[in-house]
Amino acid sequence: MADAPDQVSITLDGRVVEVPRGALLIAAAIEAGTYIPHFCWHPRMKPVGMCRMCLVEIDTPRGKMLTTSCTTPVADGMVVETSSPVVKKAQEGVIEFLLINHPLDCPVCDKGGECPLQDQTLAYGPGDGRFVEEKRHYPKPIPISDLVALDRERCILCARCTRFSEEISGDPLIEFVDRGNHVEVNTFPNHPFTSYFSGNTVQICPVGALTARPYRFRARPWDLEAVEAVSTVDSVHSKVSLEASMNEIVRISGVDCDPTNQGWLSDKDRFVYEHLLADDRVVVPLIANGDGFREASWGEAVGLAASRLADLGGAVAGLGGARSTNEDAYVFSRFLRGVVGTPHLDAQLDDGLAPEFAAAVEPRALIDDLDDADAILLWGPDLKEELPVLYLRVRKAATAGAKLVVVHPRRTGLDDVAAHTIRYRPGEGPALLRRLAAGEGDLAEARDALGAGKVVALVGRPGLAEPAELAEAVAAFALTLDDARILPLVRRGNVFGALDMGLAPTLLPGRVSVDDAERRRALAARWGSLPDGVGMGATDILEAAASGRIGALVLLGVDPVRDHPRPDLARRALERAFVVALDLFVTDSTRHADVVLPVAGLGEIQGTVTNLEGRVQKLNRVVPPPGQARPAWSILDDLAAALGSELEADAVEKIFEELATLAPAYEGLTWDRFDWAEGRDGVVVPLEGVTPPLRHVPSDPGLAVVSERPALHLARVLYDDGVLVRHCPSLASLAPEAAAHLHPRDASVLAVREGDRVRLEGVGVVELPVVLDPTLAEGTVYVPFNLAETAALGAVPSVRIDVVREAGS
Amino acid sequence: MSWFAGLLGPWRGFAVTLRQMFRPKVTTQYPEEKRVKPQRFHGRHVLNRYPDGMEKCIGCELCAGVCPARCIYVRGADNPPEDPVSPGERFGYVYEINMLRCIFCALCVEACPTEAITMTHLFEMSVTSREDAIYTKDELLVEPDGTPRHPQPEGPLVDLDELRRGHGWLRATAPSGRAAYEGIVAWTPSATYGEPPPERGQAGVTDETDGES
Repeated sequence: MADAPDQVSITLDGRVVEVPRGALLIAAAIEAGTYIPHFCWHPRMKPVGMCRMCLVEIDTPRGKMLTTSCTTPVADGMVVETSSPVVKKAQEGVIEFLLINHPLDCPVCDKGGECPLQDQTLAYGPGDGRFVEEKRHYPKPIPISDLVALDRERCILCARCTRFSEEISGDPLIEFVDRGNHVEVNTFPNHPFTSYFSGNTVQICPVGALTARPYRFRARPWDLEAVEAVSTVDSVHSKVSLEASMNEIVRISGVDCDPTNQGWLSDKDRFVYEHLLADDRVVVPLIANGDGFREASWGEAVGLAASRLADLGGAVAGLGGARSTNEDAYVFSRFLRGVVGTPHLDAQLDDGLAPEFAAAVEPRALIDDLDDADAILLWGPDLKEELPVLYLRVRKAATAGAKLVVVHPRRTGLDDVAAHTIRYRPGEGPALLRRLAAGEGDLAEARDALGAGKVVALVGRPGLAEPAELAEAVAAFALTLDDARILPLVRRGNVFGALDMGLAPTLLPGRVSVDDAERRRALAARWGSLPDGVGMGATDILEAAASGRIGALVLLGVDPVRDHPRPDLARRALERAFVVALDLFVTDSTRHADVVLPVAGLGEIQGTVTNLEGRVQKLNRVVPPPGQARPAWSILDDLAAALGSELEADAVEKIFEELATLAPAYEGLTWDRFDWAEGRDGVVVPLEGVTPPLRHVPSDPGLAVVSERPALHLARVLYDDGVLVRHCPSLASLAPEAAAHLHPRDASVLAVREGDRVRLEGVGVVELPVVLDPTLAEGTVYVPFNLAETAALGAVPSVRIDVVREAGS
Repeated sequence: MSWFAGLLGPWRGFAVTLRQMFRPKVTTQYPEEKRVKPQRFHGRHVLNRYPDGMEKCIGCELCAGVCPARCIYVRGADNPPEDPVSPGERFGYVYEINMLRCIFCALCVEACPTEAITMTHLFEMSVTSREDAIYTKDELLVEPDGTPRHPQPEGPLVDLDELRRGHGWLRATAPSGRAAYEGIVAWTPSATYGEPPPERGQAGVTDETDGES
């Protein structure tokens, strides 16, 4: 009998093993080293016992009995046989049964070569079938969404996909229909499988019934070369394997990393690799030539950029770095501060949070804190649209019992599992926060839910028209609760890494304030020099550039014309200043550049990145960069050399070593640490025993209430018209239709119906069709951010609405 | 007597030469005359078609996966539904063999699930550049009637009829290699040589029509 209270001992094929109490037999056996074949059981989902492949023999008072090990919890003293003749016969029977109708088209099946059914037929099957009749035939393949194709002939009805949609992603758009011999997986009539997570069902399908259309027939498993990396699409940094064939990434699969994505990915994470293969990728240095560009040599392009930057002295500013690796961001920070000598640099575009808050908020939560939280406060972006994998984690915690309070101007993806949903008009957040803190009226229950036990506060900007300080105010409220931790939410790729590398006017590398004299001296000793004073943030930089006070801008993977709340300002700034852009594409912003230098993208470089909880993980390289593209740190090293300085950036390991010694929060990290043991799941900085100098405890900024109507709710959607999505053919078509969403009562006041067109005037003017949305707070217009039609609007607290009347009506 | 034997020695040598002069010659006047190759000779590959002209290759890349010399490059693509190239969903969109790397082991032939790739008796593959040694689908795929294509079809060395004599390996083993398949046609018909005769010879039965063609 087991000694530890949470362990039980079972006899597994004659071997006594200790397993965790309450575990399922199949999980316990696999953990103990005895593999039990299975199709329907998945460690991250509830068991169903559908496929019968995991049958084992268990001693019962009535003799030995065959039972499914995926539905049987272990019990103390249980005696289990996993390979007795009876079990073998059962397994052979199950395989033979599953193959009765399974077509043997393995050579053309995308799953062939990595197929659990293939593998287990070889390992546990009878080797022959007695069924000689004609197999079932269905039309195939059926496209059930733009990304997924269904082949019913291959389906073995394991219910993995249907359970995933219902249990994990919460959008049950794929279901079993009919009964008995006619059971089949189907979508609802006229409703495609438009889940943001549909790619996961392809990955967990144990046969080739669900296949990814972008990957269809692109490669076979045996010619894929795979490395581990993380998805830098958003700041959750889901672990992925990048799989390449013939030097092209053709597939991204989720890897189960317990602290982050737990195996799941959003479809954007999964199919974003397409942008790397886009035809219009910049692969040679470009120099502005009339309206367009001409190709140039590295020497000429770098020489031109360096000579202009040198002429301008310190009137230079840097933007970007939030899509790059930590090493790129660190070298960018050192290049701007140490070589160019400018304090004006910003990784964000005033579309995120205050740098000190995002980089150094205390006490900071881990994603894992969600799992044992009693309550979760989400006052920030719609996670399903901005950080979809975090949405899955919050959903998991909420369905497991944590009380979720969602505060947002309109319905979010998490409302279904929320204990309390609170709507408010953008601008009136501070007033609502005061009422929530006091537990007034209808908010009393939500306040009570947050009052007891461990709370995780997920705070960010619900929409771009709302101020970044709102998050600070919400966090300050959260800290008045007993036991609250804060997880700051900003979407863009490696924005937290960039802030940690000092890419903000008020921060130096390693969570250090620019006022910290001692750290300044240490940095200046290594970097040579450090400019005095606090620099300008993104908006001030753009204003200075538009007015000519800043002569040159260095852009590192950033698109201010699309991402800054004031697109007109960004355009004027870029038109006036001398612009050096390090980018993958000629974007709406880099179109105005004087020099465009091609950088390498995901899977083409090594490096580390830091996610929203401060977890540092490593990206590996699987393909060479196309053409003459190079890592950004190497380009910046060349630029520095042309300016007569030495950045010592000649290998990514060396840069990492340098930043680990100079950035206090990264103290103690080593390059090798990410490849082995627990370091493979990443390392949360600061390490234990390391205290970074800057610790930001939020305090109420005393925000004013803005109650102009109609308030603008300008929020990001997963598939927008951003640079990455636009260059992924499979994703670009998934962008929602641009529309002005109005509450039906507001619409009736304006006398517009669904489909009528309205003209919205913010920073710019856009004309959009009306969509009625009863879930929206009254007096609010919701417009998706950064779609082709909405890009000009800009983020303002309130817009002017004019109804466009058709001539003659 | 040893001095006499030593005197005769050279003449005995000449006797060998003299004897050979009256025996049948083994030299063939290549290229005017060609030796008949053994039936299972591994010559250059072809991609076969079904009798209706459809390509047999489905682009599954098993040949590329099994190739020990890594000389095969295959890419599959979706079959256009209105004008399918091969039966089923997928066809071989790109098919290339680098003949300089190929070691003619025929593992690709064994791996092929549709008997699309087979080896012929054609062996004249001299080229004037390395690029030309990479045979693409243009060279590998047979004509709709089954005639193999050749980079220099008019050349004096080319005997396209050799393909028809070159399917000996096909009859070497049944798909599963089992004697139980004797007498059963286990191969799909092909535009090249129609329906192959049934399997025989596995259980020690000699085939009087077998042998060199």
